[in-house]
Amino acid sequence: MVAKLLDLAGIERERVQLRRVSAAEGALFSEYVTEVSQKTLEMGPFDPTQYMLELGAVQRALGTRRLRWLSGMEHQLDKAENVYREKTDPDLMEEVLSEAIRSEYHKALILEMLGEGPLSVREMAERSGMPVYTVSTRLNELERDGLAEFNCHEGSTAKFASLAA
Amino acid sequence: MAENYEPKILAFLCNWCAYAGADLAGVSRFQYPPTLRVIRTMCSGRVDPLYIAEGLVNGYDGVFVSG
Repeated sequence: MVAKLLDLAGIERERVQLRRVSAAEGALFSEYVTEVSQKTLEMGPFDPTQYMLELGAVQRALGTRRLRWLSGMEHQLDKAENVYREKTDPDLMEEVLSEAIRSEYHKALILEMLGEGPLSVREMAERSGMPVYTVSTRLNELERDGLAEFNCHEGSTAKFASLAA
Repeated sequence: MAENYEPKILAFLCNWCAYAGADLAGVSRFQYPPTLRVIRTMCSGRVDPLYIAEGLVNGYDGVFVSG
């Protein structure tokens, strides 16, 4: 889930690595550390100030109820079956999960931007690099959930504000 | 990039697995790069995705979770 969010944020997913090492595997541990260090060295230093907006959105998205609920569930969802003895289709599950992550990330990005004051859809699209249509759709979802609202008109342009904490 | 750049990696190690593995690596004198800043957790399952994001926000070049 973190890897997918980093992809969306435009940060190299290789910066986060997960490895299984048992207490008896000292050699394996040093091997992994060497490998991970080498990979990070090749990617170069990470400058968080260039990704403040994106990282804020990643954190906000990870804190949402939907993603908290879904994180770490992949394993159970893969294996489990429903009361009709139907197994989940892994590809479909993957798709549903990806869509949930994408949607929460987009919404979090919008709320991060609105945290600094009211903005129009076009301004948000320019700042975030999201297409205008995506911003508009996600903003609609936020309005429906009571997290954003129409704020004022600037000329003929509508500006929106965040209602989220 | 600086000539002698050395990555700073935040490591979450499980007390019972990777932390002991790291200890063993030390005792056995296996060489590995001094790039990790270790946080010992009671289980790698204890590591919240938010901790990983927090690490990046605070300027670590990478995050390594092992258990």
